[in-house]
Amino acid sequence: MAQITGVLSKFYTDYLTKTPKKLKAIDAYLVYVLLTGIIQFIYCILVGTFPFNSFLSGFTSTVSCFVLGVCLRLQVNPENKNQFYGISPERGFADFIFAHAILHLVVMNFIG
Amino acid sequence: MSQAGTKKGAVSKLNRNAAINSLIICVVLLLAWVAGFASRLFAVIRFESIIHEFDPWFNYRATAYMVKHGFYNFLNWFDERAWYPLGRIVGGTVYPGLMITSGSIHYILHLLNINVHIRDICVFLAPIFSGLTAISTYLLTRELWSSGAGLFAACFIAIVPGYISRSVAGSYDNEGIAIFALQFTYFLWIKSVKTGSVFWAVAASLSYFYMVSAWGGYVFIINLIPLHVFVLLLMGRYSNRLFTSYTTFYILGLVMSMQIPFVGFQPIRTSEHMAAAGVFALLFAVAVLKYLQSMMSKSEFKFLVIWGGSLAAGLVFATVVALTYAGYIAPWSGRFYSLWDTGYAKIHIPIIASVSEHQPTTWFSFFFDLHVLIATFPAGLWYCIKHVNDERVFVILYALSAVYFAGVMVRLMLTLTPVVCMLSGIAFSILLELYLREEDSGPSEIEGDESTQGGKRLYDKAGKAPKIKHEQVKEQDPIGPNIRSIAAVVLVLLLMLFVVHCTWVTSNAYSSPSIVLASYGSDGTRQILDDFREAYFWLSQNTADDARVMSWWDYGYQIAGMANRTTLVDNNTWNNSHIALVGKAMSSNESAAYEIMTALDVDYVLVIFGGVIGYSGDDINKFLWMVRIAEGEHPKDIRESDYFTEQGEFRIDAEGSQILLNCLMYKLSYYKFGELRLDYRSPAGFDRTRNAVIGNKDINLTYLEEAYTSEHWLVRIYRVKKPDEFNRPRIPVANRVIKSSSFISKKNSKRKKGLIKNKPVVIKGKRSQ
Amino acid sequence: MWKLFLFFSILSLANTAENINSDLINKNVQRTIDLNSQLVKITGTITIENSGKQGISKYLIGFERDLQGSVSYIGVQDSQKNPLKTSEVAVIGRGTNELFYQVQLRQSLEPEKTITIIFEVIITKALNPYPHSITQKEKQLVRYFGNHYFYSPYKTQNQKTEVLVSSRSIESYSKLKPVAQTDSIITYGPYSDIAAFSLHPLTVHYENNAPFLTVTRLERTIEISHWGNIALEESIEIKHTGAQLKGPFSRYDYQRETSPNHHSIRSYRTILPALAHSIYYRDMNGNISTSTVKPHKDYIELELKPRFPLFGGWQSSYILGYSIPSFPYLFKKSSGEFVLNIRLLDHVFDDMAVDELETHIVLPVGVSNVKVKAPYEIKRLPDGVAYKYLDNIGRTVIRASKTNLVEQHIQDIEVTYTWKSHTLLHEPILVSIALFLIFVIVIIYVRLDFSIGKPEHSKKE
Repeated sequence: MAQITGVLSKFYTDYLTKTPKKLKAIDAYLVYVLLTGIIQFIYCILVGTFPFNSFLSGFTSTVSCFVLGVCLRLQVNPENKNQFYGISPERGFADFIFAHAILHLVVMNFIG
Repeated sequence: MSQAGTKKGAVSKLNRNAAINSLIICVVLLLAWVAGFASRLFAVIRFESIIHEFDPWFNYRATAYMVKHGFYNFLNWFDERAWYPLGRIVGGTVYPGLMITSGSIHYILHLLNINVHIRDICVFLAPIFSGLTAISTYLLTRELWSSGAGLFAACFIAIVPGYISRSVAGSYDNEGIAIFALQFTYFLWIKSVKTGSVFWAVAASLSYFYMVSAWGGYVFIINLIPLHVFVLLLMGRYSNRLFTSYTTFYILGLVMSMQIPFVGFQPIRTSEHMAAAGVFALLFAVAVLKYLQSMMSKSEFKFLVIWGGSLAAGLVFATVVALTYAGYIAPWSGRFYSLWDTGYAKIHIPIIASVSEHQPTTWFSFFFDLHVLIATFPAGLWYCIKHVNDERVFVILYALSAVYFAGVMVRLMLTLTPVVCMLSGIAFSILLELYLREEDSGPSEIEGDESTQGGKRLYDKAGKAPKIKHEQVKEQDPIGPNIRSIAAVVLVLLLMLFVVHCTWVTSNAYSSPSIVLASYGSDGTRQILDDFREAYFWLSQNTADDARVMSWWDYGYQIAGMANRTTLVDNNTWNNSHIALVGKAMSSNESAAYEIMTALDVDYVLVIFGGVIGYSGDDINKFLWMVRIAEGEHPKDIRESDYFTEQGEFRIDAEGSQILLNCLMYKLSYYKFGELRLDYRSPAGFDRTRNAVIGNKDINLTYLEEAYTSEHWLVRIYRVKKPDEFNRPRIPVANRVIKSSSFISKKNSKRKKGLIKNKPVVIKGKRSQ
Repeated sequence: MWKLFLFFSILSLANTAENINSDLINKNVQRTIDLNSQLVKITGTITIENSGKQGISKYLIGFERDLQGSVSYIGVQDSQKNPLKTSEVAVIGRGTNELFYQVQLRQSLEPEKTITIIFEVIITKALNPYPHSITQKEKQLVRYFGNHYFYSPYKTQNQKTEVLVSSRSIESYSKLKPVAQTDSIITYGPYSDIAAFSLHPLTVHYENNAPFLTVTRLERTIEISHWGNIALEESIEIKHTGAQLKGPFSRYDYQRETSPNHHSIRSYRTILPALAHSIYYRDMNGNISTSTVKPHKDYIELELKPRFPLFGGWQSSYILGYSIPSFPYLFKKSSGEFVLNIRLLDHVFDDMAVDELETHIVLPVGVSNVKVKAPYEIKRLPDGVAYKYLDNIGRTVIRASKTNLVEQHIQDIEVTYTWKSHTLLHEPILVSIALFLIFVIVIIYVRLDFSIGKPEHSKKE
């Protein structure tokens, strides 16, 4: 058990020191989205999923926000630059916006 | 100054080269499009611009409805002319992509005041989309191998019979546009895997959305792509690109696919879609682990993996099992089971097995539909395995799974065809590259260009392009110029044979509208047998508007489309018991059938009878399926064995079983046929389809009467009499007297009546008491 | 204002209401009632004498009150075969359910003089199948109800009637002596000194296997293009209006029935103009492949076979279309106006009866000052607008309708309009501009693509 806490604390300090500021902003966003998702999940367990499509669209939209945020983080991360050539952070952000536009159009339609 | 000039010259030369390249590509693709389009027009030229077969008639009818009443009315369309008395909610039970596609083309053309009839758009939609398929195949193959291979693949797919069979002009069916959507989705997917760009992934999911709206075969995509990801993970080829592209594609594709009313919540509820969700979760787990790995030391990481990994895996497995048991996730559907176990459908769902498209494929049809490609595509596959990279893993998986599915069902030959074209394109391009390299400098320059272009894209195997060159250099030496030219000639001959075969197959096998038949006389004149339309048009003109027509389900869509009358069952075989009821009516005797028919308010019965012209697809030949389907629901009343002779044969002649010879279908098919002599050599009542003299020549109908029979007896329509019409059966005048007199002499009460015959009024009063 | 209008309309009605001039006497009437086809064709010659003191220039032809069927066409000529003007009128002192036509004589008939006129009347729906419904094997029998006497508002001195029927098998006919039957001709009369408005019912019950085919609705669209083509399309609904088919239809019996005189209709002939080309014959399900075209010297004969044989009460519908060059029909007047002379109705089959006709004439883009001159009275419907290929400006559509027509109504309608020839180039110019725009957009797009790409590349570097 102590090993786990040790590992985690090391991870935390590493994170604080090594991660660029841009990524931290994205991380904050991700945490926020994650919390929203968790709240939704708890709500659905407690209250039920009655308008199923509304629940589904809400939940999937949080999941996809999270996914897109992670993607953006991966693309923006300078460590991954060699993996994503041709994709500048600006391009990544533009793609992010584009994907969101489409996503929210669909969700809007689905939420009923 | 001079330096700038030379630079400019070099740039312009480069530009010119690229321009020539793109010109060649454009021209080849355009030619492929034109060739594909033209070779699909046999049916239009030979017959006319008309919708073919069965399902297209429904699609056409739905499209025409949409064009007339608008999109939203179409989505809410309740079709009371189908599945009487149940009706059908059309908007929620179709893949609307096809109708929307042609509807929007129609809309745009009419905005430009180009007054094209919607029928013509429907007829020519599939050939036009075949050109788009060729282009997307080119793009996909270019991503996988090279431009040259892409051009080969595009040319192949444009004319290959396996694809033409579903996309001739007039074959207005989902598959026509779905293959384009399939290829295009794969192209975008490969593109997004290669670049890791969210944009391409979103585009792939949009294309996937189009595919979902168009064809039930989208399940193939949503299983193949996760499989690809999964195999890449197993091969240790995880990359962040893979993560971004798959997660984006999956989650957007999921939300979008649920927009189609017919698909609804299936993507999160049925087992078919669960693999994709599982891979999604797995990919997340792997990504988290990778991230942690980058942050931690090895031992720490190992510890975390063992604990966290086993915990997560157990949790996921438990939830899936629990959800399945709780009924949130539906188990696999019947059609899906039949993909794994070919015998499944035959035992459990005769209605699926009764469709000829759902039979296992024969070896012959592989050759028939793909010709030389079936032989060359393993070579392409081998090259892909040899020079494997991320996207070639995909094509390998695609090929393997498609081969399997095509072997199971004839219909799925269609999904095999594109990949075969792609891999053969690769094989041919490699072969020709080998053998034509030193012929002259012109093509080699272009090809060299292409290979360097290809090399640029193959980022993760930087040494690849030189490797090919190296191989070529090595292999070129032992090949003498003679062998080289001979091989080239042989290859070209093979390709020419392929073209000839494709044209021949297209013109002979796949270009008949099947509602218009043609027969050739001994002097070569063509006679058109237009019986189907004749009878359907008769129905539309000379029956009441709300008349209900009972026929076997094959003809349901055609009756609705051409005759515009209410049908009981049709090609959308969603309600097995209703079909079984019709099957039961057809296979029982007349009076039992009459009860069923009155219960169902049937006004007319339509049967297809090919005995006069020797048409083999008629109802008597399909009859055993009716019996089987009826037996499945009503095992007490109908038994298949009753319809066979004691030797277990299905015979329609005098030795056939009595139950068969007196069932409704037999009577309706052969009514009055016993008197007909087709020619002077054969006896009366000789059935040309089954080469036998019918067993029951003296058929009398009590509850039905012949309403119409088409010119060659192909379609026979009977009117179901109302109860007041047959309570007094018609007796020929000659028989009337004798029978009544014998009747009187036997019965006592009648004799009494005879005694006081001169007081008829009194008798009437007495009788009524 | 309204009152004034009413007054004038009453006045005009009173104007058309005619008196019967009893001075006129039908000296001799010869009638022929032709019952060979589904139509009743009555032709006759009347010798009229003026027994009064004044010259008379108007003559009335009447039809009895309970006339079977309806008068579709009436034509009157004088003895030199010059057509005389005929119009429907009301007659003072007679009920409205009697029908009178007034003939305007060429010159007024002086006292004690005689004149001979020839008339032709076509009556539709006058032959009633009796029995009303028959089986496939039975013969079709029809009854004709008429008048033994020539129904006239004048006294008739001498008259004779011949009834022509299509076959010798006459079931029965009314016998008002003197009457004689030879083969398929029944001769009534001569009868003399018959008072005005005399009625004596004549019936003939006989076998008639002529096609009883009625065009229930005919929609004819004529589209004029100044490129030199006129496209015609007729959408036709036909119905067998003879005896209803009773009981089953048996294909077996039908195939064995070879005699041409069957009451069912297998095919019929349509005559098209000699210059017609690109003919098509289809219905809502596509081509009907059973028709043959026989070109003759001055017409084209088209043998049309409906998809199925027509029995009593059965109906069918089809679309027949063709193109003709415009030069024989479209002329340019010296004043610069264009004149179109084209048939309002064309031949569908011999002895045809059309219940309802609607003709649409689609004029070219940009016409103005349209004038229509009809050969007979038609009902003008409000003009429509049609959009054909690539039209952004609509085309004027002249719509006219008429009910109850027969072959005699195949006459030309004259449409005059002004049109400027440069509008002919309107559409080609539009198309080329559109194409040009597309190319320009593509060019701009290609250039723009570079300009977007560069900054991204530079950022990447």
